[in-house]
Amino acid sequence: MALLPEDFPVEERSLPNGLQIRLLTDRSLPVCTLYSFFRVGSRNERPGITGISHLFEHMMFNGSRKYGPKEFDRRLESAGGTSNAYTSNDLTAYYEDFASEALPLVLDLESDRMASLTIDDVSLAREREVVKEERRFRTDNDIDGMMDEAMGALAFLAHPYRWPVIGWMSDIEAITRQDCERYFRTWYAPNNCTAVLVGDFEPEAAFAQMERLYGPIPAGEALPSVPTGEPPQKGERRAEIRYPSQAPAVLVGFRGPGGSDPDSLVLDLIETALSSGEGARLKRALVYEQELCVDAHVYFSWRMDPGLFEISLKLNPGVDPARAESSLFAELSRLCDEELPERELQRAKNMVRAQLLRGLSTTNGRAHTVGQMEVMLGTWRAMLDLPDRYAAITAADVRRVAQKTFPAHRRNVVTLIPGEVEA
Amino acid sequence: MSWTDVALPPLLIEKLPSGLTLLAIQRRGLPLFHARLSLPAGACEDPKGKAGLAQFTVDLLRRGTRRRPAHDVDDLIESMGAQLAAEVSSEEAALALTVPAELREQALDALLEVALEPAFEQSEVAAARRRTVAGLQSDLDEPAAVAGRAVVTLGYGPGHPYAHPAAGFRREVETFQREDAAGFHATRYQQQGAVLAVVGQSPPEELIEVSKKKLGQWQASWPGHSQRAALHFSALLPGQGLRAVVVHKPDATQAQVRIVAPGLPRTTSRYAEAVVTNTALGGGFTSLLVDAIRVDRGLSYSVNTRLYMNRRAGLSVFSSFTRNETLRELVDVALEKMSAYAKAGPAEDALEKARRYLAGLFPLGLESHEALAEQVADVLLDGLGLDHLRMYRSRIAAVKAEQAREVAAELSPARDGAQIIVVGEADIARRALNGLCPVDVRQLEEFG
Repeated sequence: MALLPEDFPVEERSLPNGLQIRLLTDRSLPVCTLYSFFRVGSRNERPGITGISHLFEHMMFNGSRKYGPKEFDRRLESAGGTSNAYTSNDLTAYYEDFASEALPLVLDLESDRMASLTIDDVSLAREREVVKEERRFRTDNDIDGMMDEAMGALAFLAHPYRWPVIGWMSDIEAITRQDCERYFRTWYAPNNCTAVLVGDFEPEAAFAQMERLYGPIPAGEALPSVPTGEPPQKGERRAEIRYPSQAPAVLVGFRGPGGSDPDSLVLDLIETALSSGEGARLKRALVYEQELCVDAHVYFSWRMDPGLFEISLKLNPGVDPARAESSLFAELSRLCDEELPERELQRAKNMVRAQLLRGLSTTNGRAHTVGQMEVMLGTWRAMLDLPDRYAAITAADVRRVAQKTFPAHRRNVVTLIPGEVEA
Repeated sequence: MSWTDVALPPLLIEKLPSGLTLLAIQRRGLPLFHARLSLPAGACEDPKGKAGLAQFTVDLLRRGTRRRPAHDVDDLIESMGAQLAAEVSSEEAALALTVPAELREQALDALLEVALEPAFEQSEVAAARRRTVAGLQSDLDEPAAVAGRAVVTLGYGPGHPYAHPAAGFRREVETFQREDAAGFHATRYQQQGAVLAVVGQSPPEELIEVSKKKLGQWQASWPGHSQRAALHFSALLPGQGLRAVVVHKPDATQAQVRIVAPGLPRTTSRYAEAVVTNTALGGGFTSLLVDAIRVDRGLSYSVNTRLYMNRRAGLSVFSSFTRNETLRELVDVALEKMSAYAKAGPAEDALEKARRYLAGLFPLGLESHEALAEQVADVLLDGLGLDHLRMYRSRIAAVKAEQAREVAAELSPARDGAQIIVVGEADIARRALNGLCPVDVRQLEEFG
């Protein structure tokens, strides 16, 4: 069952400088969310400045012409709001959740930093230390983080998906103010941004204010292209990490399609069939029946370019990683050899549909979904027929995509072995 | 500050003769139905020597019922597109699921079957024990998780019903038998003190009727009423002087830091003052501590203070992390800032900012079906009444500087008797804390 356009009366506007604006009113609670999606992430970086997209996300909170250092969040919180941001391989998203009375202030804050961000050596030096601390937290002292970093470097040889979003430590240390200024001029222009406002507001007044505030910001120059080439994988690749952990772990990755490829929807269902819920195939087989793993989880998210379908196995202490791998590969082979029974396929479709609906149940969730659809699929309207597109997927589709994605020569395997690296 | 209070959506509450409270909330919009059953079977009810039994029991509920084996229970729930949440807090066990609106009766049947008719098959109990023990060992790889477990264990102190993580300890979980889980279920899964909350598109009267019909059909499945021994909650008193516990995590290049002192229970009459005062100190992104530690010094990525407000006791907790080389600097800055705050309380502009921040964001916590059911059910379980939510904004707005000052002194994580907990390389941490206070080094396994 498709989502109905009348339930999502999104107004599409744009400004002459290229800024895309999407407005969706909902008067049920006195709150709003504003998302600003910039089409820039780690895929737009190069060796030497890896991590600059994420570092820059931090820099965006350090002051602009009208609102000095510390003022962005201070003003926002004083008006009953909060902000956050995230950086991915493909995009950088900023959001504010706030009491609806604060809308004029929020638009002023956001447009001011797009127009006139302050980038100075002092704030860069400080933010660099914060990011290094974040890297120590998320990667250097975190098993999932260190394995994920190894997976990127293993699965991609030429594409920028090769390096971690947070960047290599030596690059974080080396990024200069000039790098940041160039980066801002290039990627933070209005023509590279989609602003999504959802919640309790009057659309004409909101658009008029956005036009007044964002309109004078000049469009940027043409955006540099991304080197998207990646040679075909011609054999299994392996990496090993030794770390003093309690138990081994295995991360297996297969290069998959980009987010706009229809096969991505099929992989969403495969992801669900394998690891969503306790009855999912990998949970049932590897966690409950064979007792090899504490957890078995699949990560597949849409990316602009062909990305990764990853399977993470946290093994029980003492389990031989080869045994767990073998069981995993048997489950993947079963997907390739036999069609998914109708009951399992329907289960996966129901779960994906429910997940989509739950994601739309909050103001922030609606704003994020609208923006993500715009950025990844080119239009927010793509979300309306997603339930129908999932519903139309057949067991034969699942088998075909599994056969295409999971052959042995496309495997990338990172194994965590408990223990120290010998000096 | 002129915030209007937030109107709750249409709802009905009915206390049934069995002692169960039925709560029905109308949420228009998306065609979803949510049900949440809260039972007085939380971690504080774990018997002595059986820490983790409440969590173990709730985990076992879905591993087979008297009507169907575990895999069929999974199919029953997940074929509806739902995932069953099975949670244990200090006070309650809760089962919850969200389904498409047209499946509301099937969802209630599934929820009640799982909650009331677990089979506790011997083989499933043994397998769950192995899984839980392996999971607890695996959790020791996450320094932040270890720090969280140490906070409740050390913060509440020996003998306190809250002084263990809900998941328990390996050494105690290894002793769990079928009789432990079945006995816990028989005595704690009672209608007296339970809340069934449902949220859907229909008017609350209709939701109440549907729920009562279903409860009636499952009435005979409830465990018989049995008397439970009352729990003893001794007052939390800070010890003498500052002391530190270092939990040794080999090879860590970063230290997780917590500073813990007794706090206030959720039922305190000074709830609003406590929340506002804590927000100015270490909540949000512009608090005193975020400014001092992250923004001004770049010492950490994450800094906060949090009130662990359980129903009958609470803790006041500072949390952060930093690289090994700056551990002492971070601890010194945190203690200095928090000590000064305990004396002076928040500045007037910081107080106003905290009030507006909390009031402005409050409605967001009532948005989703899941959050709405949990928030309203919790105020009923805590005996706070709906006004706790309805008048939240005006109570926050009414907090005065003098009240904030008093609470700041009482709640400071840095006051005399506080404990510093560090999860990191023991030798490095011990050297860093040298001269500050006595340091006790513990092994990681003690907290797993």
